[in-house]
Amino acid sequence: MPRRVRTLILVALAALLLAVWAFPVLWALLTSFKTERDVLAYPPTLIFEPTLRNYRDVLFGSASLLPNLASSIIVAGVSTLATLLLAIPAAYALARLEFPGRRVSGFYILATQMLPPVGLIIPYYLVLQKAGALDTYWGLIVIYLTFSLPFAIWLMVSYFEDVPREMEEAALLDRAGRVRALWYVILPQVRGGIAVTTIFVFLNAWNEFLFAVVLGGNRVRPVTVAMFNFISVEQTLWAKLAAGAMLAMAPVILLGLLAQRHIVKGLTVGAVKGARR
Amino acid sequence: MVRDQHQPGSHNVFPAVINTRSSRKSVSDRAFALLLFLPALVTLIVTTSAPLVYLAWTSAMRIDLSMPWRSGFAGVDNYVKMGADPRFWNSLWLTLVYTASTVVLQVTLGLSLALLVLRIPRGQAALRIAAILPLVLAPVVVGLFWRTLVLSPDVGLVDVVTRALGLGSHNWLGDPQLALISVIAIHTWQWTPFAFLVILASLSSLPPDVFEAARIDRANAWQRFRHITLPLIRPALVIVVIMRTMIALSAFAAIFAATGGGPGTATEILNLYAYRTSFSELNLGYGASLAVVLLAITLAVSLVMFRVRRAR
Repeated sequence: MPRRVRTLILVALAALLLAVWAFPVLWALLTSFKTERDVLAYPPTLIFEPTLRNYRDVLFGSASLLPNLASSIIVAGVSTLATLLLAIPAAYALARLEFPGRRVSGFYILATQMLPPVGLIIPYYLVLQKAGALDTYWGLIVIYLTFSLPFAIWLMVSYFEDVPREMEEAALLDRAGRVRALWYVILPQVRGGIAVTTIFVFLNAWNEFLFAVVLGGNRVRPVTVAMFNFISVEQTLWAKLAAGAMLAMAPVILLGLLAQRHIVKGLTVGAVKGARR
Repeated sequence: MVRDQHQPGSHNVFPAVINTRSSRKSVSDRAFALLLFLPALVTLIVTTSAPLVYLAWTSAMRIDLSMPWRSGFAGVDNYVKMGADPRFWNSLWLTLVYTASTVVLQVTLGLSLALLVLRIPRGQAALRIAAILPLVLAPVVVGLFWRTLVLSPDVGLVDVVTRALGLGSHNWLGDPQLALISVIAIHTWQWTPFAFLVILASLSSLPPDVFEAARIDRANAWQRFRHITLPLIRPALVIVVIMRTMIALSAFAAIFAATGGGPGTATEILNLYAYRTSFSELNLGYGASLAVVLLAITLAVSLVMFRVRRAR
């Protein structure tokens, strides 16, 4: 086979792949600008008069998504902040300091990352129900730590390990003190890592569904739950559903693109390092 | 991607320097390390391990919120009941089918795609962006997309294609067998990019001179793949298999949104069964025992996998 033909076939195959992954999302984007009548047209139409009505409806209509977006921002935002405050110091200790039980606790953290969420949700439900804390923000924020904290610790460990030891030693020899060395020398070195960790932790919290649907309620209802409820109630309003989904997913799509060069690291965190420790 | 630049032994270099300075210093260093580490550790123990103990306790109780007067200690009753519960065995079987098929599909597809894309002169960046799209979407939204725009009869994308190809219209999520295939397809669609990106990163980091040498030795394409590429990317493949198995075992939202476990119990993997038992039928005691079984399976699988990984 001539080389050019082969290249052409390869490119065509790649384009097909691109289509398989991007198409459902692009199709949803397109659908969100259609009227409900155009959605159900057969054969599906690419040429239609675009409308912003769906977006107006899901934003300002009777079933507005705005409170849900606010819920998601609060839950994801606060749990991300709490995660970072706990994870960054812990990751530094795991990566660079000696203390009794370091290896064992590293393994323990890795193991907690593998817990199936269904195993956690039942005890949380029972306890929060007894405490009268279902449908509160703090209940959700606490349970979100169960998956974001192990993840963030291991991701940050990998960034701390990249900091040259000489920098740290130099700072310490200058009698800078442990805390000052950490704050002024080490942390600036892992700024990029902290940004990437923040993005992934926020993204995971934003996308969470099982915990939110069980522990949330009328007051605390993140967008993922709102989307699900939408389809249970309105079986046929697909254009509105698509518009809602686009609004709900816009932040994570943006964050994902922002962190795209780090996504492989974010995806495999723990597994790479974990087995060796 | 597999970062080997840190030698295992190098971890101790710096603390050793400190230790020789004075032992008092070393004690305060330890205290400092614990001060940094303990808040996170304690938080994890309180938020993950303590609930699991409570879960185990709950699994030994009869807690039926629809009949609260019947609640009480049940011992191993829930587990005994499980043995004779066909719905449990069905969910266990579906969990096995779902996990095995999605992992195998993701790895084979991801590997093939990565090998293919590596040979494309241009456009890798666009492909990478397309691959990231499904990964960042919430599984519940993916399930909803597929349930409506992709798989619904008549107007869904897949149905439009099969009708155009003369294969006819199908009730992709309503027919028990098709529904299982559909939820497997949904999971595979969303997560194959994971395998693809990780394997692609591993392939791109391989030294080109190894392949040159093999080419000079007249190794054909299959031999080069089988004896050079495959062993070199094995660590990446193992990571993908481990992580995808774990995620498949805790899959929930996409199936819940697409079929809710139905029709009937056709797509009711163990997660769905535990959820439905606990929160639809409000039988939390039995639901907890199902979750304990799931936990045990996850633990066993992860132990086996890490053993395999270590044995390498």
